[in-house]
Amino acid sequence: MPLSAPATQPLIALRDVVKVYATPAGDFPALKGITAEVYPGEFVGIIGKSGAGKSTLLNMITGVDHLTAGEVVVRGPGDQQPVSIHQLGENALAHWRGRNLGVIYQSFQLLPMLNLVDNITLPMDFCGLYRPFGSRGRALELLRLVDLEGHAHKLPAYISGGQQQRVAIARALANDPPILIADEPTGSLDSLTAETIFELFEKLVGQGKTIVMVTHDNSLAPRFTRRLYIADGALVEAESYASQ
Amino acid sequence: MPASDIPAPAIELSQVVKTFKSAAGEFTVLKGVNLVLLEHEFVSIVGKSGSGKSTLLNMITGIDHPTSGEVCVGGTEIYRLNESQRALWRGRTVGIVFQFFQLLPMLTLLENTMLPMDYCQVYAPGERPKRAQDLLALVGLQDQAHKLPAAVSTGQQQSAAIARALATDPPIIVADEPTGNLDSRSADVIIQLFDQLAGQGKTIAMVTHDASLTERTRRNIIIVDGELVDETVGRALPLLNDRQMLQVTRLIQRQTFQPGAAILSEGQAVDTFYMIDSGQVEIVLKARRGGELVVARLGPGEFFGEVELVYGGDSVASARAGANGPAILATLSHRAFLQLLSDSPLTGDAIGKIVQARLAENRAADRRRR
Repeated sequence: MPLSAPATQPLIALRDVVKVYATPAGDFPALKGITAEVYPGEFVGIIGKSGAGKSTLLNMITGVDHLTAGEVVVRGPGDQQPVSIHQLGENALAHWRGRNLGVIYQSFQLLPMLNLVDNITLPMDFCGLYRPFGSRGRALELLRLVDLEGHAHKLPAYISGGQQQRVAIARALANDPPILIADEPTGSLDSLTAETIFELFEKLVGQGKTIVMVTHDNSLAPRFTRRLYIADGALVEAESYASQ
Repeated sequence: MPASDIPAPAIELSQVVKTFKSAAGEFTVLKGVNLVLLEHEFVSIVGKSGSGKSTLLNMITGIDHPTSGEVCVGGTEIYRLNESQRALWRGRTVGIVFQFFQLLPMLTLLENTMLPMDYCQVYAPGERPKRAQDLLALVGLQDQAHKLPAAVSTGQQQSAAIARALATDPPIIVADEPTGNLDSRSADVIIQLFDQLAGQGKTIAMVTHDASLTERTRRNIIIVDGELVDETVGRALPLLNDRQMLQVTRLIQRQTFQPGAAILSEGQAVDTFYMIDSGQVEIVLKARRGGELVVARLGPGEFFGEVELVYGGDSVASARAGANGPAILATLSHRAFLQLLSDSPLTGDAIGKIVQARLAENRAADRRRR
């Protein structure tokens, strides 16, 4: 373990994670034995080119996709024991995810026919994963957190792309999860707008959230508290990544 | 066709203007759009980036509102509703499909599909999971129902978004670049699905910038700089560029001929190019003993008069409206027609070939009538 790594228990631990996709052309190893840890309060960037395996890696952490071998262990603040998430059944996994993870994607996935408050409350009200009460007040509180309270009753079409992404972040925070997972969240934003997203992420990290973000853009590297470089399904050193 | 089977208008826009105000001044995105889409139609709306096509869709869905003009969807003048009435109306009347699917990432495909039923309070809560499962089966996702969006391919995500759009059984589906983010094979699956839904009675309006998709729809609307190209012009002269189509749209006039009415007489001077909007036109040669010979029956999107305009001279045949119904024609003056041929060499070449072919047909017919 590097000397700089915090000396607390890891929040997320990946152990020899292997993912092999069966294709008509034969097996394709997307992840070749990834071992990594993420500690509470970190803002970790997973940096890699298109096809390097970074989205697959995120899908292993969220449990969206099954792994071929290895283990992903997460110890959320509410968990008595570390949870090996790929051992959970579908329902248990969905509940675990609802409590522990907020997910943000490059395209904001807001429902354009719903105003901003409804975009945040709808998933809260919809299934048992979220707090059943006070969803509206919670939504307004979240919109305040992302500086969009004044736009609460607008439809997404009336706000900018950067503002839409902030709504998506507010939605991801609905259940107050300790971990945010972001897949190229600034990928469709200009650099100035991307900056506002980073500032928000930094504010959230300051409030105790842990964020794992994937990007193909190495120029963003200085913004993270720690970087993991991935190439061809394996983690590599920063130096060898840069010399690729 | 019995009168009761004539499709009713599903969507009607009259004189719709949309102006956006920005720091740089006002920008008019839609410049008085008139459009009628009929029930059961599968229509593509094409235009370049910035042409106003997405704004046009937002007028139909009530997501945005016109600066002036009327929009009537499914018999409701939607801009006379207030916001919350319109939200409810929208949920029950229009299913919307977007380029980036807009599935909620933390919900399974089944839950995403159930969402509109929940939001619009349609179907009993106990029926909703079964209905969502059936809709997912309709789009070929019966085995993926319990997966999260990120666990399936982008094509499957879009199929799930279509299942969701169908959840409240809306009569109208509006799709904004639904294949814009898909490979051509997945795109094909989506278009087939729309085709099938139109066959089952849905009205589908699809915006795309992909001209190859327009061949798959029965009707194609072209939007250029916030104005619609006349559909007959688009069909008859597909090789014109966008600007040229718009120019011709502004120059044409419409004439209606009752069944059997004469449009041109053989030997008459021709000074007009005729494009058929609807109905049928018969091209007729005089035959021996006062008889006649019908050499061609032309339908919508076809044209006549070009032979004489290109070669000069009087009409080589007569033209009249078909017996089954009135013929509506879009006409262009001689001068505008010749200008168009010189502005668009592609169109000039194509029409030149048609002229050669028709002259050959006429010579053959001439031999028969003698």
